Amino acid sequence: MAKSASNKRGPLHPLVDTGQDTVAGVLIGSLAILIASAAVGLIVNHFSPRRVPLFPRVREQEQVALPLPPGVSSASLGQARAALGSRSAVFLDARGAAEYAHGHIPGALNLPPKEFDARFPELADKIEQAESIVVYCQSIECGDAVDLADRLRELIPRPISVFDEGWQAWQAAHYPSTEGARP
Amino acid sequence: MKRFLGHPITGHVCRLLLGGAFVYANATKLVRADEVARLIYGYRILHPDLVNLASIAFPWVELIPGALLVIGILPRSAATLLGGLLGVFIGAAALVMMRHIDIECGCFLPLVGDRVDWIMIVRNAILILLALQVMVWPTSFLARRRL
Repeated sequence: MAKSASNKRGPLHPLVDTGQDTVAGVLIGSLAILIASAAVGLIVNHFSPRRVPLFPRVREQEQVALPLPPGVSSASLGQARAALGSRSAVFLDARGAAEYAHGHIPGALNLPPKEFDARFPELADKIEQAESIVVYCQSIECGDAVDLADRLRELIPRPISVFDEGWQAWQAAHYPSTEGARP
Repeated sequence: MKRFLGHPITGHVCRLLLGGAFVYANATKLVRADEVARLIYGYRILHPDLVNLASIAFPWVELIPGALLVIGILPRSAATLLGGLLGVFIGAAALVMMRHIDIECGCFLPLVGDRVDWIMIVRNAILILLALQVMVWPTSFLARRRL
């Protein structure tokens, strides 16, 4: 990077131009900003009520359990299947209505987080009667199930778990499924 | 053309657009490291052991240089860092597209439907051009004169 015209045009604020007129200075500045920013992130995370562990837990079959809101647990494919068999849990599908109609876990209620305020009242009785709640969406990278669990944990004092691997894994395992707009 | 690119007003506009985009994109991610972790995991590029660390650091590594650019502190260093990050994002998007993985890019939470696609790559390329302008002709409101 060429030497800037700053020195020819008079003094500047030291915060603005320190080390900014050489390639090495600019790169050192970038590295300093990178390290300082990452350090801020680590410090804020340490004191955050939604603190994320630095390294994810590894669950059965090497499946990574990604961070969840406080009080919400993670359910594996096997645990979700067992919950369906025991009929003790209510399943909530956080995907959109079209995806839900295309295929869902039998008995699952459709409650996308974006429609939570409008649809929760009509489903509240069924959800509150269940011993526990299992929430899922399409796959592990989809955040809708986590958003829905986050909303529910403030309203319903029941164990809530997120079935991380979601509909994609359920379907791949050829577990029971049903189609249509009804549970 | 060079006169236009080197004009102080062009410099201020590029600096504020680039810095503002990163501040806006990350302000909502700061308290949602869990959601950011899922987005990063979806790219299937980082080793799972590093996903949480990345989700904790990334929003701040984007927001702080963005804020420095908006204010006008160390503009060349901040633009270099953001330009490098944008290059990494383009590479990550290209890898995801080559592997036919359809995921949300998570660029601008809480906007939904923002997928990893050519639009994301073009948008990041435009932001890299803004970063280059700032690197070559930096400006700052804090400076008494142009850098």
